[in-house]
Amino acid sequence: MGLTSFLIRRTINMVITVVGVIFIMFIITHVITPNPAVAWAGPHPVPSIVEAITKEYHLNDPVYVQFYYFMLAVFEGNWGEDPMYHQPIIQLIDVYFPRTLELTIAAMIVIIILGVLTGAIAAVRKNTPTDYTIRTFYLITWSMPPFLVAMLLQLAIAYSLKLLPATGLANPLLPPPKPITGMPTVDALLEGYWPYFWSSLRHLILPATALALVAFGIISRLIRNSMIDIASKPFIRTAIMKGLKERDIVFKHMLRNALIPAITVLALTFASLLAGAVVVEDVFSWTGMGWLLTQALYQQDYPLVMAGTFIVAIGVVISNLAADLLYAIVDPRIKLE
Amino acid sequence: MTAQTTVLTERRISQFRLFLSYTLHNPPTLVGLIITVLFYTWSIIEGLLQSLGMFLHNPALGWALLPYNPFAVNYRAAFQPPSLTHLFGTDNLGRDLFSEILYGAPTEALISILVVGSAVLIGGLIGMVSGYFGKYVDEAGMRVTDMFLAFPAIILALAVEAAIGRGAINAAIALVVVWWPTYARLFRAETLRVKTQYFIDAAKLSGTRTMRLIFRHIFPNVLTPIVSYATIDLGNVILAYSIISFLGFGVPPPYPEWGRLVSEGFQYFPAPAWWYAIIPGVIITIVVIGLALLGDGISEFITGGTIT
Repeated sequence: MGLTSFLIRRTINMVITVVGVIFIMFIITHVITPNPAVAWAGPHPVPSIVEAITKEYHLNDPVYVQFYYFMLAVFEGNWGEDPMYHQPIIQLIDVYFPRTLELTIAAMIVIIILGVLTGAIAAVRKNTPTDYTIRTFYLITWSMPPFLVAMLLQLAIAYSLKLLPATGLANPLLPPPKPITGMPTVDALLEGYWPYFWSSLRHLILPATALALVAFGIISRLIRNSMIDIASKPFIRTAIMKGLKERDIVFKHMLRNALIPAITVLALTFASLLAGAVVVEDVFSWTGMGWLLTQALYQQDYPLVMAGTFIVAIGVVISNLAADLLYAIVDPRIKLE
Repeated sequence: MTAQTTVLTERRISQFRLFLSYTLHNPPTLVGLIITVLFYTWSIIEGLLQSLGMFLHNPALGWALLPYNPFAVNYRAAFQPPSLTHLFGTDNLGRDLFSEILYGAPTEALISILVVGSAVLIGGLIGMVSGYFGKYVDEAGMRVTDMFLAFPAIILALAVEAAIGRGAINAAIALVVVWWPTYARLFRAETLRVKTQYFIDAAKLSGTRTMRLIFRHIFPNVLTPIVSYATIDLGNVILAYSIISFLGFGVPPPYPEWGRLVSEGFQYFPAPAWWYAIIPGVIITIVVIGLALLGDGISEFITGGTIT
């Protein structure tokens, strides 16, 4: 099957999936949930305000009318006005989502470095104490709830050693840079605003490491197992017979081939990180999408919950597609189906 | 029929014995088995005591086996670090953390079993039907599965809970909503493998009805590889539930739920009480590690060729 028809088929499937996600979220938040107008009206709801909110958000209309207005807001591109923040939801996402994206990308970088490195070392030192230590380490980190990893990092590096700040996006005394991408570190870098760049980078390290520690084990194990598998292949024996240096065999022959399955898993990991950021953001007061989502859930701010879920679902679907495409690109033997 | 059942039971027992003897030579699996057995046995005992206490209107039965009453407030004992009198220290109200954690264990155990059990049933049914019938049934089943797989699990669970209300049972329902798709995929893949084998053809030719074929012939044969995954998954459910509970969507206070203990302790973290947040988290980790080790052991045992 050609790339074009594969892409078309997958895009149709993606659209079906995302529409389904929206539909399910709509049912959960509009049909099962009791009327949220009272919660939206504030701590001391006045009946007239509750009524006005009910009218504004069409909460008393039949479900299909509500769905119509909801889809209208989606296709207008602003997702409607948020009942708690009183601004278009798309503006909120515009501010908060890039922060989560920055955190996730930073975590991905840590995962790749840590996962590939530990996996390769464990494979080369197979069945030695080094191997066992690495495997025990990731068994422990991936069995940890993310908040525990986050707190242990805070305890060790921020509070005991005082090397890095424990919470926040950057030093609150520094005025934030003008949003270009919305990612604080990247914006500061683009503007050449060094104090803020340095501060936000230091704030980024701990949450990104916490997020990465929970997930790097999958990559590490995959790299280790596929490298061990590859080591018994005839082309490695040929390479040894040719008299190549061990370092070249490990890096150029074994690791490069072991990266192929890892790339797919990495793309899928990216999706899980987007969702996993919720807890880590909570512990590190990293005010990103996950933080916004939990606040929205506390306040029964369902329009925002739906928009947030939609964004994450799109991220998941795109990562899945990216996984398949990358797989076919790095390994030409694979046929897209 | 009876003879056949006896043979089957005997075979299962001998497999179980084989697994036990396998465990003895595999320290990690043994550790996993011990942690798992301790956790679930304690949860059953403590859970029974708590239910009995509720039934007899005598809640004190719930902490009959614990060193302290997990609800008793004692301001003078607040924030005591771990020691021999308070093994895990005390919290902001002077309650004994060790007793609180032991008291909260049954909820975690119950939810893990409920969620994985329901996910196996629902996912199993959808996966086996998809895999067995193929074509449009398969396409439809897998589209629905993909839809749920695309959801961020925790966020969907939180949204479901925000909609139907907080609490242990609601959390379990919310988790099942996001948990079954993985099993649907697993069961489908296994069904596709088993479907082509001769004994299925034989059953079909002897006129077995489709549903019976799926449940009596396919189900037992696809179950083996899923057992090890489900064991590890019990731990994943405990992790996911601890996140839900950490974010404040679990059983309401004062029930000492592990995830909520951590989030309560986080208010006093790192000073004056680092242990309040850390120790419940470590206990969660130990249980999850135990289940992961046991699951890995079962998987190795199965693929090691001891089961045909």
